[in-house]
Amino acid sequence: MKRILSRLVQAEQAGLGLALFLLCAVLATLSPVFLTTGNITNILRDASLVAIAGIGMVVIILQGEIDLSVGSVQAVVGILAVTVLNASGSILLALGSALLLGVLVGLTNGLLVTRAGINSLIATLGMMAILRGVAMVSTGAVSIQAKVPGFVEIGTGYLGPLPVPLVLAAGLFGAVYFVLHHTPFGRYVYAVGGNREAAELAGLPVIRIKIFVFMLGSALAALSAFVLASRLNSGQPNAGLGFELQVIAAVVLGGVSLTGGVGTLVGALLGILILTVLNNGLVLLNVSSFYHDIARGIVIIIAVYMDTRRRRSLSRRPGG
Amino acid sequence: MRTIARRALTCAALAAAVLLCACSEKEDDGRLKIGYVVNYMSHEWYQNICRAAEARAAELDVDIVIADANLDIAAQVSKAENLIAQGVDVLVLTPVDAKALGPVVAEAKRHGIHVFTESNPVAGSLSYVGIDNKAAGRKAGLWYGAYAREQGIDSRILIIGVPNFEDCRLRVEGFKAGLAESGIDYGIVQEVDGQGLKERALKVAQDALTANPDVNVIFGINDDSTTGGMAAYRAAGLDEDALVAIGFGFEGTVGRTALLGDTSYRAALGMFPEFVGVSLVEAAVAVAGGQTLPEHYETPTVMITRDNFEQFYRPEGDDYALYLDAVRALMP
Repeated sequence: MKRILSRLVQAEQAGLGLALFLLCAVLATLSPVFLTTGNITNILRDASLVAIAGIGMVVIILQGEIDLSVGSVQAVVGILAVTVLNASGSILLALGSALLLGVLVGLTNGLLVTRAGINSLIATLGMMAILRGVAMVSTGAVSIQAKVPGFVEIGTGYLGPLPVPLVLAAGLFGAVYFVLHHTPFGRYVYAVGGNREAAELAGLPVIRIKIFVFMLGSALAALSAFVLASRLNSGQPNAGLGFELQVIAAVVLGGVSLTGGVGTLVGALLGILILTVLNNGLVLLNVSSFYHDIARGIVIIIAVYMDTRRRRSLSRRPGG
Repeated sequence: MRTIARRALTCAALAAAVLLCACSEKEDDGRLKIGYVVNYMSHEWYQNICRAAEARAAELDVDIVIADANLDIAAQVSKAENLIAQGVDVLVLTPVDAKALGPVVAEAKRHGIHVFTESNPVAGSLSYVGIDNKAAGRKAGLWYGAYAREQGIDSRILIIGVPNFEDCRLRVEGFKAGLAESGIDYGIVQEVDGQGLKERALKVAQDALTANPDVNVIFGINDDSTTGGMAAYRAAGLDEDALVAIGFGFEGTVGRTALLGDTSYRAALGMFPEFVGVSLVEAAVAVAGGQTLPEHYETPTVMITRDNFEQFYRPEGDDYALYLDAVRALMP
């Protein structure tokens, strides 16, 4: 027990965990409804959407790459899913089409980065613009209402006491955590991100790994788009505006290094929770929206500062 | 071999482009030519304005060229300059930022081009066409006041606005003024920023409803804000029968679906984008014909409910079309 506890305290994310705890403590003191089941459910449901896409983003950033197209994927995939849903009446078919489109977007991103040699920031920036344009052109900028009862349950329903998106996010988190930390593929991901040349010299199929990672990232973004479309019961051409930055900010706040090779899923999850709790708390406290950005900026800086300080003190300790 | 083919193709493409340019320059046949730089074509509201403007231009036998600034002020200026260079007779702008358009308006005037704007005034331009946001908000407030008195509602109001935009702030201000004027007892429990997007409105409304589950009135500054708030209400498991949701804009399918469906969306302020589009062309024709435009060419607004919906809209295919004359009758 003591060992587990000390491992927890020494874990790299203890600084972030502490920041999250303090934030929750402050909000719980200031707002009587913060700690109610309903509110916690809301926070977890909101965080789940960011987390589903965020899990993919972690793996992409671990490669030293970035994917800016996840926001536009929210729009295009939502529109496709609702269109297929209305035409076929089948939720499964809609989900299938959503994931397929996600995989195709990821494959294109991956090929652009690895085969065409375009920097991922630029390749996915282009993809972001193209997909947003496709969303606007295909709908004439008008949202499409879903007409199949039951669809809305995916985003708003519950499995027992837990919101469906939370169950999805938790399942994916577990699966990707296992792959990253307990399979050779996971080690390859860290290896490629940490030092690409060394990974190549060691004979790792670097290009195939990268392409696969982009496909995984976009497929997960597509899944979050599917859940969002269900939650809004419609395909929205302006869905996910700025979502990519929200995801990237949360992941980076969670200690995932933009240069690749460094960072964990647990850290990213904490980053996502911190930003979601903050957004939730500011509305609960009726703080004017003009202050939200300021507060977000301050929290990001404080959280990362606490985290860096902890890491520094850990690395100074002999044998730590 | 392949390079030769490629070069030949490039040359052909270049030649075609040059020809096209030459043709378009020769097009001037004495018809009135209107240039319109819209600020954000990706919104349904502007889609409807542009469609109606194009249709009205065809009816009146004038040309209209529409360009989209996509919320980028620099793009708006350069597109306006392009239209000036193309020799339009009238330039219409929906400002991305009213304060930044002075120079381009002055340049157009130097070329003898008439300039007016849509939605917001710009210094130096002749007029602006559009609704009076504050007066429209007041109508919504007065409507709700009368409704609440009739139904005996103890009003706990959630406002979903976009405080960054002056138009949206004015709508909320007007709404509050109308409420106060109506003399009912009410409490505004919270005002949140839904950024005019359903996704965002849903999230902030959800948190606001957690803090204030006694809310029974939702006022949104556009249809997506209101319907996002309604979705949050439903998700929170609150009693939807007790909710009165009021929309603003009624700009297209979102509002119509909500009003005509069995929902808590009881009324919306109709802003009639189709009529605004028609008015843009009519104002352009008038000014080119030597008429003076009023400083504010105000287009009408009215509260739309299930009771008077058919007075303004008729079914057409899967959708509805506006009776333009019904709106025209509302002009002062």
